[in-house]
Amino acid sequence: MLPSKLFAKVAAPVAGRGYASVAKTAVVSTSNGIKVAATAGEIDADSQLASISLVINAGSRYETAENAGAAHYLKAFGFRNTQSRTSFRTIREAELNGAMLTAEATRENITYRVQCFKDAVPYFVEVLGDIATATKFAEHEFRDVAKLVALESLSARTNPVTRALDGVHQAAFRGGLGNSLYALESSPVSTGNTVRQYALEALSSGRVAVVGTGIDANELAKLVSESKLSTLASGSAVTGAATKFSGGVQQIYDSAAPLSHYALAFSCEPQNAQLLGNLLGTQRRLKWNSGASALARLAASEGFGADAFSFAYSDAGLVGVLVTAPSTQIKDAVEKVAATIQKDVAGAATEAIQRAVAATKLDVAEELATQRGAQRVLSQIALGQNAITAETTEEAASKLTSAAAKVFKTKPVAASVGLSQSTPYVDTLGF
Amino acid sequence: MEPIARALQNNSAFRSMCKPFANTWVKLSGYRRLGLRYDDLLREETPIMQEAIGRLNRKETDGRVYRQKRAFQLSLSHQELPYTQWTKPEDDYKYLQPLVEEVTAEFAERDAFNSMAVTRK
Repeated sequence: MLPSKLFAKVAAPVAGRGYASVAKTAVVSTSNGIKVAATAGEIDADSQLASISLVINAGSRYETAENAGAAHYLKAFGFRNTQSRTSFRTIREAELNGAMLTAEATRENITYRVQCFKDAVPYFVEVLGDIATATKFAEHEFRDVAKLVALESLSARTNPVTRALDGVHQAAFRGGLGNSLYALESSPVSTGNTVRQYALEALSSGRVAVVGTGIDANELAKLVSESKLSTLASGSAVTGAATKFSGGVQQIYDSAAPLSHYALAFSCEPQNAQLLGNLLGTQRRLKWNSGASALARLAASEGFGADAFSFAYSDAGLVGVLVTAPSTQIKDAVEKVAATIQKDVAGAATEAIQRAVAATKLDVAEELATQRGAQRVLSQIALGQNAITAETTEEAASKLTSAAAKVFKTKPVAASVGLSQSTPYVDTLGF
Repeated sequence: MEPIARALQNNSAFRSMCKPFANTWVKLSGYRRLGLRYDDLLREETPIMQEAIGRLNRKETDGRVYRQKRAFQLSLSHQELPYTQWTKPEDDYKYLQPLVEEVTAEFAERDAFNSMAVTRK
């Protein structure tokens, strides 16, 4: 059966040349409905390298109480024993082919990625088909995977930045997107079978996409139809309950460390998240310079740390600041940051808006120039998680002005890691 | 020799010929009278067996340890179990041999990869 073609009508906020070429990529559908998106390398036409990723829409947002943490385990089970090849063989053959195997988990997707030479792509498509359909999830393997998962969870738990950002999601979204990225201490997952059940629920063609860089989309679709991926059951994409943002909630983690961290986050449209993050503008664009935005200047003069963050998911976005200060000064620092946001960012001057738009353009172009960034963008397009529309710089600027005025006046959520006695409370910040 | 042995083992006619003798042999060997299974008797002092035993699940490991302790005690006291406690034929299944085969294949694969000659295209 010939694959059917649909052209994705998607472009970036501030459509640059790189994004426009990626967006023109055909998204091809295989006979059982798996979306295949690939860019044949307009950006890297002379490169010998290609990458293919298997993206499964089974991130932590789809966990339930019975299998909390299963997404983390599923990521760790990437490239393990299957019915036809052992993990040892997969890894050795990857080494002999000169390839890199990676498994990643986000709140929405689990990605198994192979970066290899162009002539090894057919072999690795077969490997990805194998791991999608025939992973054994053996019990003796589960014990090894559990050790790895425990280590990753522990290092996430003890890292205050990761903990604060995880907490801010839980405060904002509760279940769904609020589920932790990592398997918590209380995770009920204790057998390979639980992970297998979780994977099987997600492995239907509507929730799986194959994304490639350095290979043509039709060629990749043909390889996918010939692999075991064509035996996946046909299914439609999942449309869960709409994500709800609960403002004014705070997650407090006590910690005896000398530095306290406080993440303050606002709800926004996902297509504005990156623009708003750059409007908060704490990233240093020039070395030995504290940054030109109001927040950056405040942080430099007062001597605390402020880092803006932004997250964009398919139906929700978060944008905010992570404030880092000694525990005795955190309350003061957070109150000053909140005041600056209300004064200088909500009603930002034209110059700040232009800076933010230019910075976003650069970030998007830079991301697309990498294999990993192109793969991330393509997987969003393929799985239909990207709902943004094309716009010029002027449109982006006006959109950002109105978004900033709206978003930074709403009630934020917060997650704090530090002395709970001296934690500022989010409802006292004046929003 | 090994291919011939395997061919004979898998031949269903040969198996049905051997069945009555096999059952008598098992009864005469007497391991069931000590409450053991056949797979408890495999020589475990090899790396392959140790790895296979390490892959057993909790229930099988506990059962194996219990049966071996009980059989050892019986052997020391020159006794056998009463008839009702002899291992039943349906309990005498191959719980370890498939794992041993899996592990043997894995070890062989590792050796093959470690000793292969790689040629560049």
